[in-house]
Amino acid sequence: MLSGLRNIIAKEVKELIRDPRILLGIVLVPLLMFPLMGFMIRTSQEAAMESMKNLSVAVIDLDNDVFAQNLTDFMEFYGNLKVETLDASSIDEVARDVQDSNVAAVIVIPEDFSENLTNGVRVELKVYGVFRGGGIAEGGAFSAVNSPLQYFEQRLVNQKLGEVWPDPDIVLNPIEISPKSIVKGEPVDVSPDTLFAVAMTQFLGFPLAIMMLIILAMQLAATSVASEKEEKTLETLLSLPISRFTLLMGKLTGSVIVAVLGAVATIVGILYYMGSFAFGASTQMMVDLSAIGLAPGLFGYAVLGLSLFVSLLSALALAVVVSVFAEDVRGAQALLSFAYLPLFIPMLVLMFTDINALPPTLRIVLLAIPFTHPMLAARAMTTGDYFTAIWGIGYVTIFTLAILYVAARIFATEKILTMQLRLRRRKIREE
Amino acid sequence: MLFRTHFEIFKSIRALLPFVLGAFSLGLVIEVNELMKVFGKVKALDGLSFHVENGEIFGLIGPNGAGKTTALRIVSTLLLPTSGSVKVFNRNVVHEASDVRKIISYLPEEAGAYKNLSGDEYLGFMAKFNTPNKDELKTVVANAAEISGLGKRLKDKVKTYSKGMKRRLLVARALMNKPKLAVLDEPTSGLDVLHAYHVRGIIKQYVREHGVTVLLSSHNMLEVEYLCDRVALINKGKIVAEGTPAELKAKYNVANLEEAFAKVVHLA
Ligand SMILES: Nc1ncnc2c1ncn2[C@@H]1O[C@H](COP(=O)(O)OP(=O)(O)OP(=O)(O)O)[C@@H](O)[C@H]1O
Ligand SMILES: [Mg+2]
Repeated sequence: MLSGLRNIIAKEVKELIRDPRILLGIVLVPLLMFPLMGFMIRTSQEAAMESMKNLSVAVIDLDNDVFAQNLTDFMEFYGNLKVETLDASSIDEVARDVQDSNVAAVIVIPEDFSENLTNGVRVELKVYGVFRGGGIAEGGAFSAVNSPLQYFEQRLVNQKLGEVWPDPDIVLNPIEISPKSIVKGEPVDVSPDTLFAVAMTQFLGFPLAIMMLIILAMQLAATSVASEKEEKTLETLLSLPISRFTLLMGKLTGSVIVAVLGAVATIVGILYYMGSFAFGASTQMMVDLSAIGLAPGLFGYAVLGLSLFVSLLSALALAVVVSVFAEDVRGAQALLSFAYLPLFIPMLVLMFTDINALPPTLRIVLLAIPFTHPMLAARAMTTGDYFTAIWGIGYVTIFTLAILYVAARIFATEKILTMQLRLRRRKIREE
Repeated sequence: MLFRTHFEIFKSIRALLPFVLGAFSLGLVIEVNELMKVFGKVKALDGLSFHVENGEIFGLIGPNGAGKTTALRIVSTLLLPTSGSVKVFNRNVVHEASDVRKIISYLPEEAGAYKNLSGDEYLGFMAKFNTPNKDELKTVVANAAEISGLGKRLKDKVKTYSKGMKRRLLVARALMNKPKLAVLDEPTSGLDVLHAYHVRGIIKQYVREHGVTVLLSSHNMLEVEYLCDRVALINKGKIVAEGTPAELKAKYNVANLEEAFAKVVHLA
């Protein structure tokens, strides 16, 4: 019995992995796609940074006075920009030339700029960003021009206020808001924004990863059953001295093994992709979760693992039952797409709301779907509310056993052979 | 240690006893009684009865759709009879299906092999179910390699095989472990003349030397005449004539089985 099972599993894994469609779609593409994406984003980021280094702006100075001079100096020293002064009386005169140059923006300093600023009259400063197709680099360039301007304004304000108050900063920001959070009944010294960012990766990331793994495994299980039909190997297999239940289990186990392989490939790809970003935001987000009691303990992982395992099994059994009705791999995949619906619904709903915030009927519907439960278990890891998660494991286990029973029954009878034959015969008659 | 070996011997004797008794007391390998099989509105088998004796090659012949494949599938525990009974070595194919599967080897009419495995791997995979022992496994697979005549090509993936090469692999699979009963649905269909000849030779040899009993179906009357000890001609799910090829020829007063076939089917 056990050697038979091992034999089947080995064959399933070999067959699945050597199938170029599966190897490509499940292992190679995720493994390569994310790093490739990361590489592309990084190189374009670097290119943008590079072009930012020697950015130049043009100035049309109609003021020719002290503040205009201050402004251009400021742009040069604080903004790190190359400033060239254009000899023109309006933007229209130079617009065409500017478009063809590499100037990022044109600043038009109006007449009476200095005078008005001195007398407390608001002045308008026209800043023309040169649009050349609108890449990310261009947007960056425009803000690189804008920020020294804003800083310049800030300095003017401080100067003016400084004439009246000794510390202008206190006038501008009399209240310092200091965000903290309460977690599990304990005040902690972390801003809620940060916590939300961390939680988001769990609320978004976990359901997504779980859904991907389940879909992957379902596809594999369906393929492994349907290809036996497509390749006409099923009849021989069913006549072998091995119990049909072992056969079923072998197929399910083989699919799980390959699915896990695919999941690992995807995770490795994603990790590599995240690692390739240059921004330091990740260090900011590194909150010591265990210090504030949000780190999932061993128990949390155990609950999630168990929940994931039973729902994975139910998904696989479901896929097997579905694919029995198909006559080939493509048909099985098509039939399976109906089964994805109950997978997407809980994922989408749980991404955006808490299950307890839903109206009772909707909540019951959601709880009846087995795939909801591993997502709830993932969330329980941060909230510590394991009650629903554990109850869910029991429910999904019963659900899984029921589906497995159906799958085993189908495997044990002649239905697995005749169902497909009948479909095909009907088709021929229709033609 | 000693106790264990004795116990194992005892166990294997006990396991074999029913077959041995079944085979010797009646000499019957297959008993089919009033077999009916209905698919929706189609009556595929309509009161089919025949029996196959030990060490015999028994052939089912008949026109397309006569019910040959259906009968072989029921004997091989793949389909359930609508009514009637089928026993293989005195085991009921419905209630003792798992026992029956241990004795038989079934070659489907339309079958493939796992295309991403090599021929060798396929044979190894299949052999492990009947032969867990590693050394025996090697002999069995070597056996199959010889039957298939595929030689070096066994190292290649099955998807690179031609139709006939695939069939040879499957025939080899069905015979390699010298089953007590081989159920072969059109074993040589798609094989070239030489390989069909080779396979027929193997079937004969296995029956003679290894005590294999064979139930087969075929559309090749030459093959049936050469191979079969007894033949049943079925039409519309019923047996319309049965006997040795010589008896059938004599009964219908014809020169060969083909003419007998035509005569019987036209009469029916
Ligand atoms: N799964 C099925 N569903 C419906 N009808 C079926 C099924 N299998 C066989 N039949 C019908 O049963 C009858 C007998 O079919 P079977 O395949 O046993 O014939 P056969 O003697 O093997 O024919 P051939 O010489 O063409 O192989 C046919 O009428 C066929 O249409
Ligand atoms: Mg047939």
